[in-house]
Amino acid sequence: MTADAYAAQRIGLDWLRAAVAPVGAFGWRHDEAIAPYGPGDEEPARAEIATCVALAKRLPAEAVERLRSALRAVPEPMPIVVRARAGDPLADVDFYELGRFGDALDVLARRWDEAGGSPEGRPPVLERLRNLLAAGRDGTGFYLADAFGADLPAARGALRAADEQLDRRRLAAAERVGNILGVEPSGEEFVVMRDVFDGALPPELHVVRETPAYRVAAFTFERDERERAFARVATAEETARRELASRVVGEYDAIVAATRALGALDRLLARIAFAQRWGGCVPAFTAGRLAFRDGVFAPLAALLAERGRRYTPIGLELTGVAVLTGPNMGGKSAALATAGFLCACVSLGVPPAARDAELPLLERVMWVGGDASPPARLLSSYADEIVRGRDALAAASPRTLVLIDEFARTTGPREGRALLIALLEALRARGALALAATHFDGVAETAGAAHLRIAGLPGTTFATLDARDLEGALDAINAAMDYRIVEASAGSGASDALALAELLGLDAEVVARARAVHRRGAGSTPEPP
Amino acid sequence: MGTAKNAGKTTTFNALRNVAARRGIVVAVTSIGRDGEPSDALDGEPKPRIRLPAGTLVALPAGLIPRTPALAILDSGGATALGPMVFARIVLATTCEIGGPPTASAMRTTIARLLALGDGPVLVDGAIDRVASLAGGDDAIVVATGAASGASVAAVAAAAAGTVARLRLPGRDPSSERERVVTIEGALDVRDAQELLAHAAGATVVVSDPTRIAVRGALFETLRAVVDLRCERPLRIVACTTSPVGRGITLPARALVQAVAAATGLPAFDVVSGLAGGTVRAAASRPA
Repeated sequence: MTADAYAAQRIGLDWLRAAVAPVGAFGWRHDEAIAPYGPGDEEPARAEIATCVALAKRLPAEAVERLRSALRAVPEPMPIVVRARAGDPLADVDFYELGRFGDALDVLARRWDEAGGSPEGRPPVLERLRNLLAAGRDGTGFYLADAFGADLPAARGALRAADEQLDRRRLAAAERVGNILGVEPSGEEFVVMRDVFDGALPPELHVVRETPAYRVAAFTFERDERERAFARVATAEETARRELASRVVGEYDAIVAATRALGALDRLLARIAFAQRWGGCVPAFTAGRLAFRDGVFAPLAALLAERGRRYTPIGLELTGVAVLTGPNMGGKSAALATAGFLCACVSLGVPPAARDAELPLLERVMWVGGDASPPARLLSSYADEIVRGRDALAAASPRTLVLIDEFARTTGPREGRALLIALLEALRARGALALAATHFDGVAETAGAAHLRIAGLPGTTFATLDARDLEGALDAINAAMDYRIVEASAGSGASDALALAELLGLDAEVVARARAVHRRGAGSTPEPP
Repeated sequence: MGTAKNAGKTTTFNALRNVAARRGIVVAVTSIGRDGEPSDALDGEPKPRIRLPAGTLVALPAGLIPRTPALAILDSGGATALGPMVFARIVLATTCEIGGPPTASAMRTTIARLLALGDGPVLVDGAIDRVASLAGGDDAIVVATGAASGASVAAVAAAAAGTVARLRLPGRDPSSERERVVTIEGALDVRDAQELLAHAAGATVVVSDPTRIAVRGALFETLRAVVDLRCERPLRIVACTTSPVGRGITLPARALVQAVAAATGLPAFDVVSGLAGGTVRAAASRPA
């Protein structure tokens, strides 16, 4: 399913992608390789969602978070094994990282078991890789231990002996030289001030550099034996690293498979966490129809929760083209967004946040209307809507969902209404799934579309509130508003606009005057106040 | 840390390691360096390499780990230009170049990790522009100074005294704080100093740590006399070392060590010639 930037933002697709983002690089690679589900993908989409829903019920939420945290800590082995496979020498830090990778897989598998995960879904454990490195691992570190190379113990022993012999000679020479020079030689090179000693240096010293005030001296030792021992260790260690690297390359396929499994697990855990947070169902997949009960537009629900406000789930049944009317602040736009959001969920293999649902796998979701443009814009609001309407018509098919939010509200109402009716007729003719929220009267009947309505504020009388108490007004509206979407009868298009304006603090005289005008009907001249 | 390039910083560092080795103390070492751009590269000289005995803990970027003899890798951490920081133990004595993490916070993390991995002290081959990472802690700082920072004993001693005075800026003391307290965000530069002298005489002026003082010489002394200069996180400077040898210049070693001790009020040592100046006992006390 695709959606342009505006539609993606309006239906919460961007939010959803962030909400189910993987925690690690494996997950990102995995996700990037998987296209969103579209028409024809019903079987794999259903299988993925069903797995998520089952595991969301089975695994404790804290255990899922622990697993995700363990996934986050898994180091990336691929650059190392790819270099090894190409024949590049590996360093001990690389073996250390591979060891960490094996450890991290172990931790993950243990947490999976602790969470009660099924054996078939268990994250991989690379025993052979761990065994390859075991000789160099004492705890969590790595050392190229003697066991990795046949000549390593002897070569290192020889180097240690050469170093010790050199140290003994250095100590003895330092003592002798110190007695002669009156300074204590320390380190490889040392300074002999001429005002301390200006005679000929002892034979075991040579001058590295000198000035009129001092000489920098160093011991002259026969180092051939030490250098030969060092070279032998270097050869033995490089041989051991090459052999170990070639054995790691032998595990290439297993490591690649493990990283893929980790990627899939990352994706799965993100979806499980989402379902645990927002609820989720296994939908029935349909074409040309969209229905859900207790659907949650999670981006809005999250925003409301942050502000300590309650979100009311909604239900909707949409077949073909429908018109949605109802009061201001009744959730018409949210209803459109919820429909798009739940379709986005299934396209990403995410359990739709609803008690139950019948949803299509779509090719495209389009959003027409609303305030799409930034304040500094080339197109007026009206022009922007028309362009979006044009594009929606061009793309409309039985595999598209067109969400229309108060189309043409910024032009003359009669022409605007006519345009909306014509647009809906055209969408219907193309077999598209479309839902249009509007305050225009009689659109559904004229366009031959189903008419749905937000139940709204039937007969509600609000207690007098402080006009400046916006939070209180919102609470009162929220408590009184019936957000259910119901089938509308002809002419039931009340917007409750005047009652809401009064509650929100518009001057009472202005509201009273508006009521008088409204009672007399549009187009007639009201009595002067 | 050194007051100038070739002030004997690494010589001091090596002397401390030698003393520790003679006493059987296993140390951990790292460096506050500019990753991939060591200051030594300014004159084309190679960065000094140091010999590390078996058992030494070391933190260095992966790119500086010698391939032979192999080190025991214990842990890895934050990123540097030369690869991740690696914590390792020397198994067979080796000679290597030490680098360090690029930021003060990463240096604090590195030091904390080295302390957790070992039992002994952590020696940091420092740089004056990165020493802020040690501010506010109990870490001891040795200032290396020498002929590289002046053409005469008096000049070297004066430069050392100025540096030490700035770095020993006292911490805040609520009991003696003046009525007006001015907090300087970032560096206190010449412009700030002018403003403070003109409008804040007598006030307590607070910077975050002593390295934020960017004024030198007489202006710094005047400022210190006019305002009560303090810092949030003081440094603990315990001693100076002196190097009488500079490029094309050699100063009298004994006179230098005594002059630096007198000018800074700290014990001073010439670790090459074994000379000392000042009261060595003072090294144990923490500045107010």
